[in-house]
Amino acid sequence: MHNRGPRRVGGCLEEIIFLSALDKPVLIIGGGVAGLAAALELDRRGLASLVVEKGPNLGGQARGFCCKALEVCARCGACRVGDLLQQAAQRPALGALTQALAVAAQRQGAGWEVTLIPQEGPKPTSPALALERPLGERLLVQTGAVILAVGHQVFDARKKSRLGYGRVPGVMTAGELEETLAKGGLPGQARRLAFVQCVGSRDQALGRLYCSRVCCGFALRLARLARYLEPGSEVTFFHMDVQDYGQAWRAELAEMRAGMRFIRAIPGEVRPGAGGPLAVFAGPDGQPQEEEFDLVVLATGLEPPVAAPALSEMFGLTPGAEGFLTGGQGVLVAGSAGGPRSIAESIESAAQAAASAAEHLVSGQAPSPEVAHA
Amino acid sequence: MPRPTLCWVAAPGLEGLEPPALAMAAGLDLDQGGALEAAVVTVPEVQAPDKLRARLLGRPVQWLDLAAELGGGGEGHRGQRAAAALSRAAGRASLGTLPPLYSPQPNQRVLVAGQGLAALAAARQAALLGHPVLWALSGDDPAAAGAGEDASQVAGLAAGLPEGIELAPQTELTNLTGAGGSFTAWLKGPQGTARQRFGAVALAPGGAYRAEPAPPGLAPDLSRPLSACQPASLASAQGWRQVAILAGVGQPATAQGFARALATAYALQAQPGVQVTLLFREALVAAPQGERLYRQARQAGVLMARLGDGEPRLADQGRTLVWQDQVLAEDLELAPDVVFLCEETGAPWPGFLDNNLLWPARSRLLPEHARLDGGRTARAGFYVLGALRGTPAGEDRLAEAAAAVHDLHDLLGGGAAPLPAVRTLTCARCLTCVRVCPHGVPEHVEDHIQPAPAACLACGICAAECPAHAIAPPGWSTAELMEGLACGLAAAPAPAMVLMACGQSAMPAFAELSRSGHVWPAGLLVLPLKCAGRVGLELILRVLSLGAEGVLVAGCHEGMCRSVTGNLRARLATGQAAGTLSDLGLGPEAVSFLHMANNQPQALAKAVEAMYARLGAVE
Ligand SMILES: Cc1cc2nc3c(=O)[nH]c(=O)nc-3n(C[C@H](O)[C@H](O)[C@H](O)COP(=O)(O)OP(=O)(O)OC[C@H]3O[C@@H](n4cnc5c(N)ncnc54)[C@H](O)[C@@H]3O)c2cc1C
Ligand code: SF4
Ligand code: SF4
Ligand code: SF4
Ligand code: SF4
Repeated sequence: MHNRGPRRVGGCLEEIIFLSALDKPVLIIGGGVAGLAAALELDRRGLASLVVEKGPNLGGQARGFCCKALEVCARCGACRVGDLLQQAAQRPALGALTQALAVAAQRQGAGWEVTLIPQEGPKPTSPALALERPLGERLLVQTGAVILAVGHQVFDARKKSRLGYGRVPGVMTAGELEETLAKGGLPGQARRLAFVQCVGSRDQALGRLYCSRVCCGFALRLARLARYLEPGSEVTFFHMDVQDYGQAWRAELAEMRAGMRFIRAIPGEVRPGAGGPLAVFAGPDGQPQEEEFDLVVLATGLEPPVAAPALSEMFGLTPGAEGFLTGGQGVLVAGSAGGPRSIAESIESAAQAAASAAEHLVSGQAPSPEVAHA
Repeated sequence: MPRPTLCWVAAPGLEGLEPPALAMAAGLDLDQGGALEAAVVTVPEVQAPDKLRARLLGRPVQWLDLAAELGGGGEGHRGQRAAAALSRAAGRASLGTLPPLYSPQPNQRVLVAGQGLAALAAARQAALLGHPVLWALSGDDPAAAGAGEDASQVAGLAAGLPEGIELAPQTELTNLTGAGGSFTAWLKGPQGTARQRFGAVALAPGGAYRAEPAPPGLAPDLSRPLSACQPASLASAQGWRQVAILAGVGQPATAQGFARALATAYALQAQPGVQVTLLFREALVAAPQGERLYRQARQAGVLMARLGDGEPRLADQGRTLVWQDQVLAEDLELAPDVVFLCEETGAPWPGFLDNNLLWPARSRLLPEHARLDGGRTARAGFYVLGALRGTPAGEDRLAEAAAAVHDLHDLLGGGAAPLPAVRTLTCARCLTCVRVCPHGVPEHVEDHIQPAPAACLACGICAAECPAHAIAPPGWSTAELMEGLACGLAAAPAPAMVLMACGQSAMPAFAELSRSGHVWPAGLLVLPLKCAGRVGLELILRVLSLGAEGVLVAGCHEGMCRSVTGNLRARLATGQAAGTLSDLGLGPEAVSFLHMANNQPQALAKAVEAMYARLGAVE
């Protein structure tokens, strides 16, 4: 096993030295919470890895989420991204190539040779961390095992056009609300808020026959936070069912039920009203009912990653349940790439992927990893 | 006293500063490549060039992250702030470091107690990483699965057990003391009880099904646990025609329990002549395949009955269930032949953990906490896995066990903070540290305080609470902090203010703001801490007495402190300090506390601004 303790070298040296100073028993594709956690877990085992991230920064989607604590932590997990980035920065053996895309893979013994190409894209939104290095040129990486941590794709709310997203002013997605609140405020004077759950999940017409698992949790916590930030605002929660997140959650949910209006129906339509978006939904008697809000928030679900078909083909994987990724020989999956997972679940799944990758390296006689510029 | 040298490593954010002038201002010699007694470095250790690290080996070094403390602004402004930060580091470095008083090696043995998937995975992974494992099995068979676990998955894993696992069948863990690197376990086996030492302990009982309570008043002969209908063909054999399944009615169900109820409902419905009604409050479809199971059962003819609060009501001497249909607004009735109660897996909390002289209360040891994942508990090196923790059977248990083993491997391999130094001569044996350490590190052994070798997180709570200043993690004693703060405050322009910043929340947010060019007040001095728990009443009052006009303490939100109580202790100390100030007729607004997360930099910037506004108003 490799335990040579490779270390990142100081900022003045060429990228090539940075790269060849690493040996890479494991290549991690995707630098969200799952990819970062996988790198950390491998490092705890004494195994080096290389994270390959297509975007300009590590952290993935959860990096833009807001803290949902009122006075007490709501255990939403959003700040775990910061924790992971901090832990990664303290571990000299960790390195990540940003703006890099894996485009081809070839079996080599029990391992893989993966081709990376630089990815044109937006410039970093925040100053690069010491461990982030943009990929400069095409690169071949030989590796003993691969962890796929490419995350999920958020359902495009425009596909449910009747809900008005992109068409009706005052309709936004929960992800947009996360980011607005993270930046410190609610848009305008939103006193009448509605949340619409299961948008793009549990939907026969869309062929999405699964629950996205996380949206009840984050939407209700967002709703509670919005109410707290804007005292006097009213929240209506349109839902099918409220999923369960453990003991402490149940106590919180009881409080939320007391403070918000829960309606067990999903609006069939949202259209422009006189003072804001107007939702049409089935009332308690089954008859259609209309109500106007200032803001309608769509809790969009988690879909398989866009890269799933390409990666499945590259690594010869059989498509998994609902189109998410499943692993194969020497290829492991971590985080929401493998199915809808919360931040905490993504982090834990990375531990298992790291352990399996390590076992593969031992049993599969991984080739000696090295790097060559193509 | 050594005279420290400034080793200037250029880094993003330090552009435009003049090292010679700053060295002079901070009372440091600028590094010329010669011999060094002690040093202040401008970047964290991981970012320093190898050569410098080699030169500094074994010397007292203050690794700053100067760019994180600095922020934006004009050159003169940044120079002032840099000089104050370097002065603080210089003051601390001039004290040198205390050599560790004793440094035992952590015990490498791992105890896994329990049976089933979690225990098996933990034992396997620990052995693969080279730890000698003692696996105390409740039964005889390492391949026995716990309730709800896939027997073939467990058998498959058990078939290829790696070397290094010693099996202790029919053995029970009856008592446990200690912390990471040094546990003592009492194991009761067929040959009697033996005491053994371990470096880490994972508790992973196999778990059993427990049925939810039946609605009060239900005829007792009607209700049965869900497992009692296996195989499904039993239903026709028993002549059951109307079958009710209650899922999450007497108590909340989990997605796993609900999925099992759905699968059972579907299987029973397929039996000739059987009509199944599933009664529930919420359809918990978040388990894998949950939504598909729900639809499949409904399509097969299972009746779905959604209950409201207080339902089902009972009639006919507890033999008929009544509830209101939510759309028709009509009462519906069902007189079932049998009522099955949904089951959840669980395991009893071991009695020895209730010994509150040795263990904190369960809510402190194993709180629902966003940072205590991967099987970890507040006590480093002690893990609670699987059914006992409520982790769903399957991949989640494997993941949790893997994370726990990585954590213990890291701890026992030197990943914990260095041992806290205990000055036995000054120690009053008051046992405050034993009581307050959230991670169980200090132990009272043969009339002295002995820290466990691989458990300290350097939170500094003991140092804040020890009345004799006799214990502190290396570098975090009040004397060292105060020496640094005195020098830093002397160099900071008035009005000077100290931000005591928790390393989990406030400091990363502060660093992010600094890196993006936020301009901090010239007199703001940062004290980066591992945990806000290091802040005590004494530290705040002494900082004020040195001339700081304000102290802002920033720690994690309640319930998010990695050291469980660090933030609450710091908040308490801040309140006490405010009280003391008003007793003295001084303005209590000179001190305040902020709860925040590392993704809330604006909250921190606002609090600093507000503090300065208040200081201005007081003047
Ligand atoms: C609106 C919304 C709100 C949410 N709120 C919460 C919450 O409050 N709490 C919670 O626990 N969970 C929440 N979630 C779920 C959360 O987003 C996921 O659990 C988490 O992001 C999963 O992390 P990941 O690392 O698996 O994936 P991602 O965060 O998606 O990261 C994947 C990374 O891989 C990169 N990548 C993708 N493809 C490639 C490729 N081909 N090559 C290289 N790199 C690639 C991406 O750029 C990205 O950085 C929310 C989800 C949504 C949609
Ligand atoms: S877990 Fe969520 S609510 Fe708790 S502190 Fe972190 S971001 Fe805030
Ligand atoms: S978690 Fe809630 S909102 Fe999301 S798909 Fe499941 S039931 Fe719908
Ligand atoms: S708190 Fe201080 S004085 Fe009391 S036992 Fe611990 S080290 Fe000794
Ligand atoms: S610093 Fe914290 S973890 Fe370490 S011994 Fe003191 S109280 Fe315990």
